Amino acid sequence: MNNVTQIVLKVRQAPWRVQRQWVGLFLLGLVLVAMVAAIYLNITVRATLAGREIQMLESNTTNDQPDIPENQRINSDLETQLAGLTSVESMQQRAEAMGFQPAVPDDFTYVTVPGYSPTNAVDMSIPSSGTPLAPLLLPEYNESLFDWLARQLASSVQAGGQP
Amino acid sequence: MRMVYFGRYLVIAILMALAGIAIPVQIVRLQNSQEVAGITGQGVMVWKTFYPARGEIYDRHGHLLAGNKTVYEIGVDLTSNPDLQTIALAAQMSLGMDISEAMTKMTDVPDGTRYVVLDDFVPVENAEKLMQLQKDARADPSGRNLDALNFRAHLMRSYPENDLASTVLGYVTEDNHGYMGVEEKYDNVLAGIPVTLLVPADPRRAPEYPQIPPGQTLILTIDREIQASVEHILDNALISTGASSGTIIVMDPRTGEILAMSSTPRMDPNDYQQVNQIFPGETPFNRAISQAYEPGSVAKIFTMAGALDSGKVTPGTIFLDTGSIVVGGVTIYNWDRGAWGYQDMTGCLAHSLNVCLAWVSDRQMGSDLFYSYMQRFGLGHLTGIDLAGETPGRLKLPGDSDWYPVDLGTNAFGQGISATSIQMVMGASALANDGKMVYPHVLLAQVRDGHQSNMSPQVVGSPISAETAHTLSDMLANALESESSDALVPGYRIAGKTGTAQIPTAYGYDPDNINASFIGWGPLDDPRFLVYVWLEKPQTNKAASVVAAPIFKQVVEDLVVLMGIPPDSIRSGNGQ
Repeated sequence: MNNVTQIVLKVRQAPWRVQRQWVGLFLLGLVLVAMVAAIYLNITVRATLAGREIQMLESNTTNDQPDIPENQRINSDLETQLAGLTSVESMQQRAEAMGFQPAVPDDFTYVTVPGYSPTNAVDMSIPSSGTPLAPLLLPEYNESLFDWLARQLASSVQAGGQP
Repeated sequence: MRMVYFGRYLVIAILMALAGIAIPVQIVRLQNSQEVAGITGQGVMVWKTFYPARGEIYDRHGHLLAGNKTVYEIGVDLTSNPDLQTIALAAQMSLGMDISEAMTKMTDVPDGTRYVVLDDFVPVENAEKLMQLQKDARADPSGRNLDALNFRAHLMRSYPENDLASTVLGYVTEDNHGYMGVEEKYDNVLAGIPVTLLVPADPRRAPEYPQIPPGQTLILTIDREIQASVEHILDNALISTGASSGTIIVMDPRTGEILAMSSTPRMDPNDYQQVNQIFPGETPFNRAISQAYEPGSVAKIFTMAGALDSGKVTPGTIFLDTGSIVVGGVTIYNWDRGAWGYQDMTGCLAHSLNVCLAWVSDRQMGSDLFYSYMQRFGLGHLTGIDLAGETPGRLKLPGDSDWYPVDLGTNAFGQGISATSIQMVMGASALANDGKMVYPHVLLAQVRDGHQSNMSPQVVGSPISAETAHTLSDMLANALESESSDALVPGYRIAGKTGTAQIPTAYGYDPDNINASFIGWGPLDDPRFLVYVWLEKPQTNKAASVVAAPIFKQVVEDLVVLMGIPPDSIRSGNGQ
């Protein structure tokens, strides 16, 4: 019993041990702060880079990397070029060059097709795919840790695994 | 020994503490530093110009009538000590620009100017020549320098079908504003006008960028194949008849959809700078809607429709034509100054007897009833067609300072009133569509964000009953057949009426020139088309039955092919 008491007293009486503990705690705090700061910096940098990328994509300047307006412009340009190549005049010239000639009423043989309804005009609406579009943001970007845990548990149960 | 270690520990602890503190301090400093904010744009708003594309225009089958093509703005960065002489020389070689003009543009600028536009709306091929010169100059050791040249690609209006349907489409100038036709009428919808806005320069606020919507896509009722056919026929008609100008309209009388509308002159809207040369002075851009004229005998269909509908006459009503009639103290004669004897109402239409129609309006209907029907058919009012530049024409009414009693007689056969071709077409739609008059229009649908909104047909009135419409159509068809008209199309029963009208001048009617018109619709049992032909001042003949009726026939012969309309015998099930 006395030996134990003496050892405790010796430890307590060693000030460098106390100081080392304090230094250790202080360093631990610093490491935590540095980790938080590093994570914050990492996220901020990634967000900034993504924002810069958006700016580049939205940019109107001509550069080596195609951006959104550039693609739209090129699409529009190509569509107009295609329309020029398939214009009435050029199609007539091509048809005549291939030996075709304009049809006259006597050239036709009409066949009655019950229920047939010819298309009267174009429909340029984009047809619905029937399946919902993928979400723009992945769940990882807007769910909490508990949401994530719950989702993982649910998915593992659905997959037949053990939670 | 322990003191030595303590000192070392202390130094290490202080260094690590300083390093640890430095990280958040640096973060805070970076977040708030003016210097860094200047680089990242934090808190800074900058002016940014967005260039949405102007909406495209398609025909009813999805063929592009008006799109956009790439052109370049070529500018010079004056802050980079540009080699102006070399740039001016390059501009001359690739753009055809005068050297002195280029030098003036670059040097005659206010102090402090950083950037000057050398040329804009430069075609791609010319811009590419200049880009190649810039590349060559970089590789050239002689020191010539074109690095100050900047190229900005953007879109401008382009019409791949050139002058096809140009009087319907209108044109767009370099400032992106539409003029005439659809381009002006729907300018705010097509828009795509560049917008300059203050936006955050901070990349972290990029999602706050405004989304400037592009112009809407328009689908017209025009069928480009029918339009091309009609324009071809009209151009040939002007050559063969010597007419000074012409107009042809094709409309679906059931819906009011304009399938084709052509008038002369036409211009290629890609080259709109020629507009003042092609349309000098008062020349209308689109005669079909902008030039009112005295339609003449084609207007007799409205007079007869009103008389039949009001019960004042029947198809079998007999009129004794003595060759003249006095209305309001003025004697009115037939077109041939002849007396045609006993005629029923079909005969009056078949021989286009002015005296008979004046008798119908003056002796049978009276002014109140007659003008009531003329107004019901829309004469004297805008049709409201969705094209810029429509004029209302003029229908003088009793009580107007320039109306005289004789007008009741002359108006009955289309003289003394002025109407546009589109007004005549709208009025006649009631005859071809069971008495229901439809709103003529060229817009079939609008497309935005992948959704298409279709226009619904609009009935603007029912000036006559369905029974009257059928009766008159039958009378007109019989009239054409009895006269073996040149408008008849084998296999299809057609209703129609010619119009040979004198042209008023400041000194009375022009003795040398006439307006020749023809209006007709078919097939009679289920009208799918209504065609109006107007030739101004034909020289080869002064009768519409000779110059205008064959043009109508040509149009219909193409229409039945392009619209896939089988002959009457096949549609009725009696064909082979």
